[in-house]
Amino acid sequence: MRRLTLVEELARVEGNGGITVELEGEQIKNVEFNIFEGPRAIEAIIRGRPAQDVAGIVSRICAICAGVHYLTSIKATEAAFGTRVTETTQLLRDLFVRAGNIESHALHVFMLAAPDYLDYPGATAMAADHPAEVKLALRLKKLGNTLQELVGGRAIHPVNPVLGGFGRIPSPEEMIRAREELLWAINALPAALGFVAALPPTDVCDAENAYAALVMPGRYGYFHGDEIEVVRADGTRQRMAGKAYRDLTNEHVVAHSFAKHSGFEGRPFAVGALSRLMVNERLVNAPGQLAMRRLGLHLPSRTPLDNNVAQAVELAIDLQLALDTIEDLLAGALVPQAPVPVKPRAGTGTGVTEAPRGILVHSYTYNEDGRVVAADVITPTAMNAASIERHFQFAVDQHKGGTDPALTKKLEMIVRAYDPCISCSVHLARRS
Amino acid sequence: MSKPTVGIFGLTGCAGDQLLILNCEDELLTIVDLLDIRSFVMASSAIDEHAQLDIALVEGAVVTDRDEAMIRRIRERSKLLIAIGACAATGGIPGMSPQLDRQQLYDDVYGEDAVFNLTAQRGRALADVVSVDAVIPGCPIEKHEILGAIAALLQGNLPRFKEYPVCTECRERENRCLLIRDGEPCVGSVTRAGCDARCPSLGVPCIGCRGPAVDANYRSLKVLLMSKGHSEADVRDKLDVFARLPENALAGGPAEVPCAD
Repeated sequence: MRRLTLVEELARVEGNGGITVELEGEQIKNVEFNIFEGPRAIEAIIRGRPAQDVAGIVSRICAICAGVHYLTSIKATEAAFGTRVTETTQLLRDLFVRAGNIESHALHVFMLAAPDYLDYPGATAMAADHPAEVKLALRLKKLGNTLQELVGGRAIHPVNPVLGGFGRIPSPEEMIRAREELLWAINALPAALGFVAALPPTDVCDAENAYAALVMPGRYGYFHGDEIEVVRADGTRQRMAGKAYRDLTNEHVVAHSFAKHSGFEGRPFAVGALSRLMVNERLVNAPGQLAMRRLGLHLPSRTPLDNNVAQAVELAIDLQLALDTIEDLLAGALVPQAPVPVKPRAGTGTGVTEAPRGILVHSYTYNEDGRVVAADVITPTAMNAASIERHFQFAVDQHKGGTDPALTKKLEMIVRAYDPCISCSVHLARRS
Repeated sequence: MSKPTVGIFGLTGCAGDQLLILNCEDELLTIVDLLDIRSFVMASSAIDEHAQLDIALVEGAVVTDRDEAMIRRIRERSKLLIAIGACAATGGIPGMSPQLDRQQLYDDVYGEDAVFNLTAQRGRALADVVSVDAVIPGCPIEKHEILGAIAALLQGNLPRFKEYPVCTECRERENRCLLIRDGEPCVGSVTRAGCDARCPSLGVPCIGCRGPAVDANYRSLKVLLMSKGHSEADVRDKLDVFARLPENALAGGPAEVPCAD
């Protein structure tokens, strides 16, 4: 067997990764998604630390998902301690995590994924020919950051969310300013969706897939909820409690790739925007339904690239729901208040949420002093790794032309469509 | 004047400082116009691996042998090497808790039979491996500081940053002191300013993410925190994340409480 590096350094993703194939003669036997990011052992390093220090350390796992890592950490710790927070806190957390989704999707759809379809090396090069679209994407991205800063105190590595609530509740005046920008964004959305709809159709591979996502209670969102649903490739569904996440992930060593992979019933599954739509389609609001029709997204999908389209649909869903949440807050819930008291107790708590790129799990065991005894963090990219390699294999099998540049491009587009966070996933670091 | 050639790189870390550059949404297209960016893998697949660089901006800690080879190579081809963010500046989160044996931590997370094809160790600052010309502090860096640094570099100057502590900025904002008034474990008095006292202004104690202020008086902070009921171990835990305490920094201590309101 001969190893050939197709992509040394994968561009337009978070973190350091690459793509390698194993060849027997000219035949590709295996395709690997490589991870070069160094291990930081964050789950082990937080042992012994007090509960209030945990979120600020674990958010550093990844900058693009920092907000949702921070909040998922808080969700897990509050579950362990049995903390009940106010409605204001619940609304603000929902808004904050949604804002992170808006920022991340605006970055990914337009600046990281779209350049592939149009043959540009990146968004700034694309801006030379599509200045209006790139500026629009940047403004949508900025809106996500502005909302994250308003609620979280900082866009990357938030500081204002704390156990039991928030350091400071934003003022109505600040919320009204944010609402103005949201109203602009809702008006600008058709142009942004038009750009996505006009991207040339691209075939990377054709395959059915299995999906998993948080079951969203009440309305489409990324923070609240405690159940996971799996949709098998044959369309049958299974629900499980969030704290039984290990039944979903079954992290295991795969001989062919030496990586810890996730598999449900022994088969890879995908997480992310497309999976969320599969599981929660009944909750898609009117702007989201309109976007699905406009972008021609039909479920179930047969291509991983539809995750890019699903993210654009979520942008449509989120702008409206962020506005609705702000209206709810302004209608009376935006009351200055201290965080509710948090009383440590011994036990385990699990928080399951949706990061922009899929299910995120934090699970901590605390002692009676509220210090960490054990921690487990399972990230969406770790869950997606097996599915990425499965789609790689389909692409290789369906591609005619051996290891030509066209194949490399397909593989890059597949992995980018999963919007991977390699820093996050390093917990599945390669073994040899 | 020709545009300076620039590379933006990430070693092991969260990519937050590169993301922060991409988060300069209003300035991004101007930045790429003023600079001749030859490498920014997170944003573009157009990479010139061999270009001589006038300026390299590097985030992340040196954790793997691959990181080390990368930073040596970047140093060789760059006139100015600027460390951006806490990981590059001090080792950051990958370098926290220096007393813990990394091999043991990896065994705990990955299993004892795991063999890496990369050699890894505790995160080191760039300056532990190569010479560094300037450091932009923060976890993540601040927008105004990276934009100011780019402006300074375009003028042929090295960027400079505040050396005094967050405490000074916090006082300027007339915040209620979380430490003295409420006994909260705030480490703003030993942490470098530049964030406009972001956290204490929200009522949240500073965790020290901008790294140590120049001449940080750790011992005085320890005495003050202990007078509020925190143990020496608590103080060490707080400073263990970002500060990289010099040896004996907490040893001894005056009997009187400094800064007693």
